[in-house]
Amino acid sequence: MSFLGRSGSSSSNGVNQERMDMAIQELDMITDVFNRLVSSCHSKCVSPRYAEGDLNKGESVCIDRCVAKFFEVNKKVGEKLQNMGAGAAGGS
Amino acid sequence: MNSPPLVAPIFPAGKEPLPPGFSEEEREQLMQAKKYQAWTNMGMESCVTKSVFAGGGGFVIGAFFSLMSSSFAYEDPLLRQNLSTRQKASEIFKEMGRGMWKSGKGFGKVGALFAGIECVIESYRARNDMVNPIAAGFVTGGILARNAGPKAAFGGGIAFAAFSAAIDLFLRRETPEED
Repeated sequence: MSFLGRSGSSSSNGVNQERMDMAIQELDMITDVFNRLVSSCHSKCVSPRYAEGDLNKGESVCIDRCVAKFFEVNKKVGEKLQNMGAGAAGGS
Repeated sequence: MNSPPLVAPIFPAGKEPLPPGFSEEEREQLMQAKKYQAWTNMGMESCVTKSVFAGGGGFVIGAFFSLMSSSFAYEDPLLRQNLSTRQKASEIFKEMGRGMWKSGKGFGKVGALFAGIECVIESYRARNDMVNPIAAGFVTGGILARNAGPKAAFGGGIAFAAFSAAIDLFLRRETPEED
């Protein structure tokens, strides 16, 4: 509130701002992954004909597998990109 | 858990939003209750449970049909003429019971087999469509007629598959929209 208080805490505010930005970015990433996951597994597993509100057995099994595969694909692609990046950095 | 909409429902462990009306001290109880609820739901949806329920339902239906059809039973009146009324009645009831048990066992086997096999096929394919009951009907018919030779088993399978297809077409029909 006072000038003293503001000027005194400006440095610690700077570090906090960095962490805030990182946290905001991470939250954005998580939300983006979540939304992609939900929309892709919904379009793959849930049939367009809704006879009832609950997921039946086939759909729940499909969603379990869909989520697992999504993260597997994520991991594999990440590893390949990593190797490509490392190879390019090592070569050039 | 009620999280605000448009936010991914991912929270740091121990900081999930509590539903209204619960305090912080009840969080652990709530988590435990949620865990048990999840286990119960998983159990209810499992193939074994479905098979058991279908078998039980089949048993009840078979026993009921046998009970109703025992009212049409006739027999030779000279068969039990040397028994008192009480003994005759008790023997008749015992035969009714045996018939109910036998018929119930048969229907129960059919129900349990069909439900179990359909659930397994559906879990394997991860899809819910008409193929599951038809295939399950074929396998069940084949299993039930296994002692009568391969052609009879195949024919029984086809027949049961057609029957099960008819039932599932009826169950999945488009119902008229109620306003």
